[in-house]
Amino acid sequence: MTKLDNFTKGIIRENPVLVLVLGTCPTLATSTQTSNAIGMGAAATIVLLCSNAAISALRKVIPDKVRIPCYIVLIAAFVTIVQMLVKAFAPSLNEALGIYLPLIVVNCIILGRAEMYANKNTVGDSVVDALGMGVGFTLTLFVMASIREIFGSGAWFGMAIPFLQNFKISIMTLAPGGFFVFGCLIAVVNRIMMKKGKPRRSLGCKSCPCAEACGKASCETEGKGAEA
Amino acid sequence: MAGHIVSFKGCIVILMSAVLVNNYVLSKFLGICPFLGVSKKLDQATGMSIAVIFVMLLATAVTWPIQHYLLDPNGLGYMQTVVFILVIATLVQFVEIVLKKYIPGLHASLGVYLPLITTNCAVLGVTILNIDESYSFIESLVNAFGSGLGFLLAMVLFAGVRSRLESGDPPEAFKGLPITLIAASIVSVSFFGFAGIIENLFA
Amino acid sequence: MSENMIVSVSPHVRSGMTTQKIMAIVLIALIPAFAASIVFFGARAIAVVAVCACAAVISEYIFEKITKRPSTIGDLSAVVTGVLLAFNLPVSIPLWMAALGSAVAIVVVKQLFGGIGKNFANPAITARIVMLLAFPTAMTTWTAANTVIHTGAVDAVTGATPLGLMAAGETAALPGLSELFFGQCAGCLGETSALALLIGFVILLCTGVITWHTPVVYVATVFVFTWLIGEDPVRHILSGGLLLGAIFMATDYSSTPSTAWGRVIFGLGAGIITTFIRVWGNYPEGVSFSILLMNILTPHISNWTRSKPLGMIVEKKGAN
Repeated sequence: MTKLDNFTKGIIRENPVLVLVLGTCPTLATSTQTSNAIGMGAAATIVLLCSNAAISALRKVIPDKVRIPCYIVLIAAFVTIVQMLVKAFAPSLNEALGIYLPLIVVNCIILGRAEMYANKNTVGDSVVDALGMGVGFTLTLFVMASIREIFGSGAWFGMAIPFLQNFKISIMTLAPGGFFVFGCLIAVVNRIMMKKGKPRRSLGCKSCPCAEACGKASCETEGKGAEA
Repeated sequence: MAGHIVSFKGCIVILMSAVLVNNYVLSKFLGICPFLGVSKKLDQATGMSIAVIFVMLLATAVTWPIQHYLLDPNGLGYMQTVVFILVIATLVQFVEIVLKKYIPGLHASLGVYLPLITTNCAVLGVTILNIDESYSFIESLVNAFGSGLGFLLAMVLFAGVRSRLESGDPPEAFKGLPITLIAASIVSVSFFGFAGIIENLFA
Repeated sequence: MSENMIVSVSPHVRSGMTTQKIMAIVLIALIPAFAASIVFFGARAIAVVAVCACAAVISEYIFEKITKRPSTIGDLSAVVTGVLLAFNLPVSIPLWMAALGSAVAIVVVKQLFGGIGKNFANPAITARIVMLLAFPTAMTTWTAANTVIHTGAVDAVTGATPLGLMAAGETAALPGLSELFFGQCAGCLGETSALALLIGFVILLCTGVITWHTPVVYVATVFVFTWLIGEDPVRHILSGGLLLGAIFMATDYSSTPSTAWGRVIFGLGAGIITTFIRVWGNYPEGVSFSILLMNILTPHISNWTRSKPLGMIVEKKGAN
């Protein structure tokens, strides 16, 4: 696939959140305000870039049996660095993201891309893939957060929209609103994919980094030859 | 370090709050992947949740002392993320091996979920939150247990709802994950009723 | 699952009851409460009910048009949902909010899941809770009840509901028991008049649309538990949305158990949760949340109370 294709697949076709269904926790949690969403997206993208690059560079060196713990260590190291940077340069973002900043380390997108792509491709390709996925992730977060913030608090990026202040639907910024908007967005993407004639994926076990490890647990009963 | 007195009542409040009011899945959005993935069948849901409770307790029991006796005194607080996730990953591996060798029956039913739990944000989340909230050791264990219990409650409730969804008939675009998420939003809405009960009950 | 094939064993007896007939009976049973709402809250009550019912029917029609499904607005279930939702709203609710709530009830809670019979949650109750969370101030602004029929705009006199007063501990301002019984107190449109609702209960019971189990057990449980805690049980069962919820919403076919014991358990659970929320929770009224929580538990309740078919042998689960 071309470099451009590699990049754009992360945006719609293989959008990490809406199609591959990875990284759902931070998506739901940080999409209450657009500024937080962008911050989270950026932080995750940086970690993704670094980890994809590093893992790809070391892919011939890391022994296969211990590769998951090695990836985790690498990713954790990058997350710690990003954590420290955010704490130093954007303390309000640190406050806002709270526990979800360190939780980037278990973000399935990062581990998933490492497992599925970075350890099989060159550094260059992995970096492009990471960029695409990161942009797709950030874009999704941005859309979700915009919807939730505009309808839920009548504001955008923290700036109140005067007309909407009287029509606030507070539930949008609460937990149920998150689930709801997320569900609707996935339905929209499904519709787009259906129109293009692409088959809909069921809860993708194939893109989950633990797929091989969980084997029998069957994330979905139609997992990899899983016993139900 | 926790400088407050640990009371039994305080522990009950932490426990019940974690289960009902600050439910890890329905309010904090931790552990969504297994929640959506493994809640289809009741026995899978219960099995997964018990494994989660177990790992949460164990992880708390190990990470809390490490933070307070190893990292903090030596000014290594920033290593928290790396150390915690490594501890959890190793712990899970270790538990799996031990289970396989000594309690094969348990391993066959619960062991399969253990690798899934390693990258579950709920477990890492609870270990970090224990530190953030400055809980004492006992309180941390209670919090871990409560969070796991909340996870179990959410899973069991949702398994029932999902069995209803099986015979549902949503529009094509909503089939599968979207309708599941909308059902989850309704379940999440119902938990708002518990606001205030715990504090007022034990005030 | 195929939509059109219903396989059942003989004998095949058709009862002549259709959804439309059942819904019509429910609407008739709701007329007394509707009349009471006009008496106590004025002409705006008609507006709210009308808006809710119309919004419900229109959203169902539009949804079925867009998704190319057969139109079901003729079965009157949308009208019932709209009316029930309206009865759960304060009279001063902005009409656009009421319309939005109706749309949510029909589209999100009922139609998205497949339409009538496929929803696991009661549409009116869920929409009411969603509105409470979405528009907290509008949903908790109560108007004092009147005894004179109003033809114009509603009085801007705000009052607290009996439950609100009880929760705040202000016993001096509480309305008397007869006022609670007839409905002369602040509250949502359809919930204030115990008399009107009980008439509806009798209608539904006599026509066989509902069974006695859920409403009686639900109300009795609240009575017993509030009495055990030391609160005034009679006041509790006459206040708030308990009677409305127990009679009309805890008996919804789709979201509640269908076995007798299942209904008893439903009533029991709902009663306990209602008491807890009323006495200790932050919200003064717990009926909506209780019913929704029990709706969520219903699949499990149905499993527990499923009667064993004749001759079935329960296999022992093999050791895993």
